[in-house]
Amino acid sequence: MKTLTKIALAMISTLTLSLAANAHDPSMHVKKAKKANCSKMDHSNMDMNDPVAIAMMKKCMKQAEADKKAMPGMAHSKMKKAEKKDAHNEHDH
Amino acid sequence: MKIVKLILLLAVLGIGGGATVMYSGIINVAADEPHSDLVYWLLAETRENSIKIAAQNIEVPDLSDPELLLTGGADYEFMCATCHLKPGQSESDMSLGLYPAPPNLAVSNDNHKDHEHGDAKQAAGQSFWVIKHGIKASGMPAWGKTHDDQRIWAMVAFIKRLPKLTPEQYQILTAID
Repeated sequence: MKTLTKIALAMISTLTLSLAANAHDPSMHVKKAKKANCSKMDHSNMDMNDPVAIAMMKKCMKQAEADKKAMPGMAHSKMKKAEKKDAHNEHDH
Repeated sequence: MKIVKLILLLAVLGIGGGATVMYSGIINVAADEPHSDLVYWLLAETRENSIKIAAQNIEVPDLSDPELLLTGGADYEFMCATCHLKPGQSESDMSLGLYPAPPNLAVSNDNHKDHEHGDAKQAAGQSFWVIKHGIKASGMPAWGKTHDDQRIWAMVAFIKRLPKLTPEQYQILTAID
């Protein structure tokens, strides 16, 4: 019984120590696919003959199209009505 | 006859000396213990001249197609940026821990003048060769084993533009659709 307790204690401490052994900034080790942040694109300083500017435009247009396709049934007119209805209901309370 | 004996003696001494160094463990291979200036220079010169000679006959294609920046950008972010950094970043675990330190490709060649890069075509050819074949005992893998030439040229096109990119431009070009 004593041996079992010792083994359990050793395993628990080993597990705790190994879980605590992190690198200084774990976020640097994570590679997540991120969408392009097209709102940060500065159109005023863009030279449309520059391959970098053309590539960025292509990427952002492709992303905008993909976003549109991902939400085909979204009717903004209905959304406004729903919002108004919700507001009215809240007023009733 | 005397000369033959002398050559044999020198050969035996050379092999014996080499074996002693090899098996005694006297050479420190730790990456956090830098080479002496002389050894560093010998290795760097050997490496740079090897790359220069190997890449001299590589035909560099047109790298101005914007599409190359998108393909190359995504690959750079996932395969290279951890060691070779990106705009707005000055160090990473890998850039600090590897020896020899991987060059920071987010800064212009003028900022790391420890070796010659040649003109733009030569530099592109050399980048292609290094990405495709890797460099022995340096941490640089041979990406040619898993990536075709077209994809490697796209990375070269992106690396060429990298020093002039802002962090915002980098984020857009390297993001995944």
